[in-house]
Amino acid sequence: MGVQVGARVHVFDTMGTTVSIRFADDRPDPDVLGRVETTFASFDARFSLYREDSEISRIARGELSLPASSSSMRDTYAEALDWRRLTGDSFTPHRPDGVIDLSGLVKAKAVDAAAAVLEQAGEADWLMNAGGDILSRGDDRGEAWRAGIVDPLDRAALLADVALGVGRRALATSGTAERGEHIWRQRRPPGAQGSCAYRQVSVVARDIVTADVLATSILAGGPQQLDDALDRFDVEVLAVDESGELMASAGLRRAWGTSTP
Amino acid sequence: MRTRAVALSILSSAAVLAVGWQLGEQGRVQDVASAASTSTQVSAPTATPTPSSTADSGTAASGTAAASGSSAAAATATPTPSTAAGVSGTFTGAVSSTRFGDVQVSITVADGTITDVTALKLTDKEQKSVSISNRAAPVLRQEVLAAQSAQVKSVSGATYTSDAYLTSLQSALDQAGL
Repeated sequence: MGVQVGARVHVFDTMGTTVSIRFADDRPDPDVLGRVETTFASFDARFSLYREDSEISRIARGELSLPASSSSMRDTYAEALDWRRLTGDSFTPHRPDGVIDLSGLVKAKAVDAAAAVLEQAGEADWLMNAGGDILSRGDDRGEAWRAGIVDPLDRAALLADVALGVGRRALATSGTAERGEHIWRQRRPPGAQGSCAYRQVSVVARDIVTADVLATSILAGGPQQLDDALDRFDVEVLAVDESGELMASAGLRRAWGTSTP
Repeated sequence: MRTRAVALSILSSAAVLAVGWQLGEQGRVQDVASAASTSTQVSAPTATPTPSSTADSGTAASGTAAASGSSAAAATATPTPSTAAGVSGTFTGAVSSTRFGDVQVSITVADGTITDVTALKLTDKEQKSVSISNRAAPVLRQEVLAAQSAQVKSVSGATYTSDAYLTSLQSALDQAGL
């Protein structure tokens, strides 16, 4: 069981990171929080390449073939392939050595499943942060939940904040600053001018899977993928390039009332 | 003389739109894209980026509507004052194939000015419309910071480990438990 902080926050470690859930009112019953933790743990047990006994590790070692794997494994792999197609290959479920790695999708899927647990328990107003990826429901006693985006140049500072609400429930950030996530950048085209790499990418979306996958794909795919994602998905994006300069989509610029330099 | 030139160019931009629409109706989406690009330049011949950057719109219109010679045609359009009168409405092109599958482009025109370009993707499960008017543009850190609210309840960042969490802003917020 995780740590109870105050009356409204529940914190626990899972999947190599820390999950914080803040409730607008008091925390739900311990058994509800227990089911939330179990949900994350079951995703970790099946999909973690850090665990030798996980199903995906057995596939990686060749002990289990994909067709013979669980339907949950095959469905998640199929979903990852869909995302690969939707992101022009900048998101991929394959490591360069060919091993199937679903870590780019699984944390968001776990957050989604945990959200369903809270909803079934009648929890309407909460804010869940799983290792830097955020999903919200309802509001904070009448006010929109607000989330900050950390400055990759200074972890103790915020770059910006966004209001989460209808159609914009999720905020995910991918970056090169912290844990070595499995992101393989596309090579810079020969003769390309200037920097075409982002240091950190945040995506605001309706759901956490879209936000997380697109943040990863834009970090990997650079400016072209940023344009593409904004054209094809109903999302907002804040990207920080190598020199710390910011690029923001129109909706964020409007929300912040910023002009373009 | 000047008045006559302006009147002529207004006429021609309206004609381009009308022709583009008719061609589009006949099933050639690239002509609508061409009209879109052309009149984007016509309506706002300015180099200054605005929130819905017109330069972006032009480029993306031809890109999204699939690779024809239309962008080259657009590049030669003659800018005219933004007082172009008349044409309003939504014009929808025919279906065209792109690397993402089939798309159909529609443009919204208000008083001779393109106000939006939307690509309806036909092969997606979602069948959703996407607009190119949300492209990213540079913003100044100071301006974003100035707009910051003190009411942040959670912090998004690159995935942290459980150890890194302990020294993170998120941990501080959780400890505060407000």
